[in-house]
Amino acid sequence: MDHATVPVAILLGVLSFLILYKIFSARRGKELYIRRIAGLSAIDEAVGRATEMGRPMLFSPGLDGLGLPTLQALSILKHITSVAAKYRTRIIVPTRDSVVYTIAEEISKEAYSAQGVPEQYNPDDIRYLSDDQFAYASGVVGILNREKVASNFMFGYFYAESLILAETGHQVGAVQIAGTPAITQIPFFITAADYTIIGDEFYAASAYLSREPTLLGSLVGQDYAKAVIVFIILAGAAISSIFGMDHSWLNWFKSG
Amino acid sequence: MLARFLVQPGAPQWQWILAVLGDFLILGGALFALLSLVPNRYRKTLVVILTFLAGLIYSVEFFWPADPETGKNFLTDLRERVGEATNVVYAFALGLGVYSLLRFHAVNLIRKRPGWHNNLAFFIAFAVMLGVGFWDYLRPSQMSANAFNMLFMGVVAALGATMFSTIGFYIVSAAYRAFRIRSGEATLMLAAAFIVMIGQVPVGTYLTSGLPSTGLASLFRFENISYWILNQPNMAAWRGMSFGIEIGALAMALRTWLSLERGSFFEKEL
Repeated sequence: MDHATVPVAILLGVLSFLILYKIFSARRGKELYIRRIAGLSAIDEAVGRATEMGRPMLFSPGLDGLGLPTLQALSILKHITSVAAKYRTRIIVPTRDSVVYTIAEEISKEAYSAQGVPEQYNPDDIRYLSDDQFAYASGVVGILNREKVASNFMFGYFYAESLILAETGHQVGAVQIAGTPAITQIPFFITAADYTIIGDEFYAASAYLSREPTLLGSLVGQDYAKAVIVFIILAGAAISSIFGMDHSWLNWFKSG
Repeated sequence: MLARFLVQPGAPQWQWILAVLGDFLILGGALFALLSLVPNRYRKTLVVILTFLAGLIYSVEFFWPADPETGKNFLTDLRERVGEATNVVYAFALGLGVYSLLRFHAVNLIRKRPGWHNNLAFFIAFAVMLGVGFWDYLRPSQMSANAFNMLFMGVVAALGATMFSTIGFYIVSAAYRAFRIRSGEATLMLAAAFIVMIGQVPVGTYLTSGLPSTGLASLFRFENISYWILNQPNMAAWRGMSFGIEIGALAMALRTWLSLERGSFFEKEL
């Protein structure tokens, strides 16, 4: 579908309105509650473990270029790097995309400066490995083994290499926290990582970690949007069950 | 852009390369100078406006009805141009990635850090691949094509395939841990995985082939139970996650487009 149909435009309009409405009401100071997400709560614990062991951590921002999953991964990187800088712990960030590499470099540099330890920032820890999928995977596997990382974070969009990275991390004894919107890779992360952030929890990460009102409001707006989707599913099921699959009302549920 | 005016169609390739490089330098330099002239306190505003306008092109183009014959509206061509401009920015950044690689390996090699021979191997591989690539591009011959194919298909592709094939071994070790019976959920997963796997292979079909192929009893054939697990409970969970992910992506896209996400990446003013 290259262009929106009327039902799609209406649905996107309603969902966008709900999200933006909750964002702006949160910015006006409304108190919001979000549930605990174990994987995200474990991030500080994983940084602490690496600090106690005196070993570095690794953060992989996935294979995609600068899209939404990578932007989310970079916002998580900012939080982890800030905590790492506070505890003077090394964090290695291997990247596959040169644009992501430059942004990751800036984020890390700034996180160390913000914690008052700019001299701790090591440019060699933010690395561009290769834009080839398996060359990147073998590069990360090499770093995991050579550096004996204590904590391994995998956030972003992953493909077939997810299991290679997660299993190697498990073999070197790293605490592993993973999160991806790639549904096909979630089972691999659930199997091999200690904590896995699944589904929309991935996009909730920046809100959960920063507790910024804007992001919290967005999260609550997402829940309202999900309620709309559930209502549409129930309405579609009811109409098709009562009136049959050929009823004209069902045309409103078709995307194209 | 300027290259189209400066170089005539059919001109030698080197003239085009020089013209395009000149384009990059002139336009890039002009943009850089322009940004440097903008006072610090307005830079953030400038970035916010540019982000909003770029996003606006994509969203209006998507929502504006298209001509049924061409499948395009008045913004489709502009959207494609914006996409091309993004590719140009990516091309600039590729140089930074290569620079990072060269710097990292050069420092390790010069200081003879442990494993420096790997850094040397990188430089040799880089130089050989670059040399053969240019040789095949500038002076194509059967020998250069063979050399390039030997390096690319015989080494790079083969190494990639080798790495890919290790997934098979990792799946075994991961499956062993996943299927150990430790809880009710793990037992349920083991049972579901067993049925799905056995339903996909001929021996599974053979084991329940005694059951009729139609009627109520046919539902208990392994291949039918496997199909049901994959297409009913599994698909329901899959779609539930997809809805959540897409709504999350929509929220993130809105926050990025309207510059509400700024604090997530950088603390300081731009």
